[in-house]
Amino acid sequence: MLSALVAGLATGAVFAATALAYNVMFSTSKVLSVTTGHLPMLGGVAGAYVIAGLGLPWWLGLLAAMGTGALFGLLTELVAIRRVLARSDEHLWLLSTLALATMVQQAVGLWWGTEPRPFPRLIPQDFSAGLADQKFWLPIALAVAMAVGLELFYSRTMAGKLFVAMSEDAFAARARGIPTDRIRVASYALAGALGGLAGFAAGQLTFAYFALGLTLTLNGFIALAVGGLGSNVGALIGGFALGLLNALASYWFGGEYQQTIAVGLLMVVLLVKPEGLLGSKQVRPV
Amino acid sequence: MSPEHRRLGLAALLALGAATLPFWAADQYQLHLATLIAAYWVLIGGLNLVVGYAGQLSIGHVGLLSIGAYGFAILAGKAGLHPALAVAASGALCGIAGLLLGLPSLRLPGFYFAMATMAVALIVGEVVLAQGELTGGGVGLPVPGFPAPFDSPAGFYWLTAAAAAAVTWLTWNVARRMQGRGLIAIRDSVVTAQAVGVPVLGAKLRAFVFSGVCAGVGGSLFAALQSYITPDTFHFELSLFFFVCIIIGGRGGILGPFLGVVVLTALPELVSPLAKLGNFFYGLLLLAVVLVVPEGIGRVFELVAARLKPRPVESVPVQPDLPRLARALRSNR
Repeated sequence: MLSALVAGLATGAVFAATALAYNVMFSTSKVLSVTTGHLPMLGGVAGAYVIAGLGLPWWLGLLAAMGTGALFGLLTELVAIRRVLARSDEHLWLLSTLALATMVQQAVGLWWGTEPRPFPRLIPQDFSAGLADQKFWLPIALAVAMAVGLELFYSRTMAGKLFVAMSEDAFAARARGIPTDRIRVASYALAGALGGLAGFAAGQLTFAYFALGLTLTLNGFIALAVGGLGSNVGALIGGFALGLLNALASYWFGGEYQQTIAVGLLMVVLLVKPEGLLGSKQVRPV
Repeated sequence: MSPEHRRLGLAALLALGAATLPFWAADQYQLHLATLIAAYWVLIGGLNLVVGYAGQLSIGHVGLLSIGAYGFAILAGKAGLHPALAVAASGALCGIAGLLLGLPSLRLPGFYFAMATMAVALIVGEVVLAQGELTGGGVGLPVPGFPAPFDSPAGFYWLTAAAAAAVTWLTWNVARRMQGRGLIAIRDSVVTAQAVGVPVLGAKLRAFVFSGVCAGVGGSLFAALQSYITPDTFHFELSLFFFVCIIIGGRGGILGPFLGVVVLTALPELVSPLAKLGNFFYGLLLLAVVLVVPEGIGRVFELVAARLKPRPVESVPVQPDLPRLARALRSNR
């Protein structure tokens, strides 16, 4: 029972980290990118490749994971977001990010292989550690640290305040002389680095697996929608809640219906409180 | 010849070519491919109303396809129902599934709806794997074929093509009448559609349930064509394929998505390097279309045709009333 809870919290932490990456990109562009779940996937694969494949030290693997994520974030912004945002069609970004997500998933599948591969141990530790195993507490600690770090970044630094200004009103921010295009690029790179970091930390839990992306895109989004779009604390709560629910459901009913239960949670929250637990009410544009 | 007549002539020519295909197809494989295209089109024709006309980005239609296919395989195989009855039953089943899915999710904004449909595709896969004794689990399920006149490849092709033609006719009827106009209005602006009295949720729901029924019938034909189905048959990328066909062909038309299905199904079979790239190629194509011509490839043809066609020069002869002008000028001085 306890082990199910800890494993659930760790899985939830990965969902929460994905939801945080969603939030960073959403704040500056109002786009929910389908590629978000692929950032941790890329981080995990890059880390496993550098450490296990090339035999380099772990900190180089960390750099590679964050760098790959940041590069892919940049690529997403340049290819799939920038040109599409300039058009008036509302949901074109959904198509362009979906296309990019498919491409990166297939490319990784062709290069890395379609089987999940183990991720190397980061800290020397016995496999008999049980609940104190690093594969559980690394993602949990990281997700909390990411949320706290993002909150501090938004409230304490100038760059973070620019992000907040843009998320509140992009046109007003532009009128005040904020380089909105550059801020958006920076936010995508930041989200990519954070996503890659999350994938690196959770690698031992999720394995380096090319098809992880779509699952994370969906579950991270559910965590975000449950917690409230735009709220970092909400993303954390939503992610942990979803992970715990999944773990308890597979503890009691067996592991076959995880996705069904996750979507059930989403539907219940959307019916009762459409803006999520901590989200702000959406004003209908006319 | 008026454009209307030309279009009818083109459609008749296409229909004639499709109807006589078993006689001029080079080998059985081409016939199989044509049957596959027709079975896909049964689903995509219905999905076109949802994606192309109503603008609802349903990226998880493979879930409904797999419900239809498994429904047919279980009803016609295990329960021993007549295949025609089984097709009708699985069409109805998918219609109900579409209603149950659409009722909550069509109220949601775009990305939420897309995620909900994607989740359904994953859920159906999970349930199929979990309900092993009914669906055969990961091993799969044999699917019975159709009885006498339709048991040969040519016969089955005609059956599938007839279903595809029926779906085309139905969607065409919907698209050019009030319902279709309402759907287009919803796609372009929900608020405007509401303001002019389009019942937004009702219209979207009707289109979605219709696409569900199409998915059920298409899934039955698809399963009967494959003759053996496993959960791997209905992978998520198949869903993406349906979606890409419509987007590439152009939203808000029927011919464009149809050409999209034909080309995208046939192209990887004819050009083998593309088959290896597989879904990477679909992603690339989708990205290129979205970035360069969001209106779809069909729009490119229209633009080229407009460029090639000589623009009629209108001559408006000007006949100035010179004496009056002269008088006016003089009196002003």
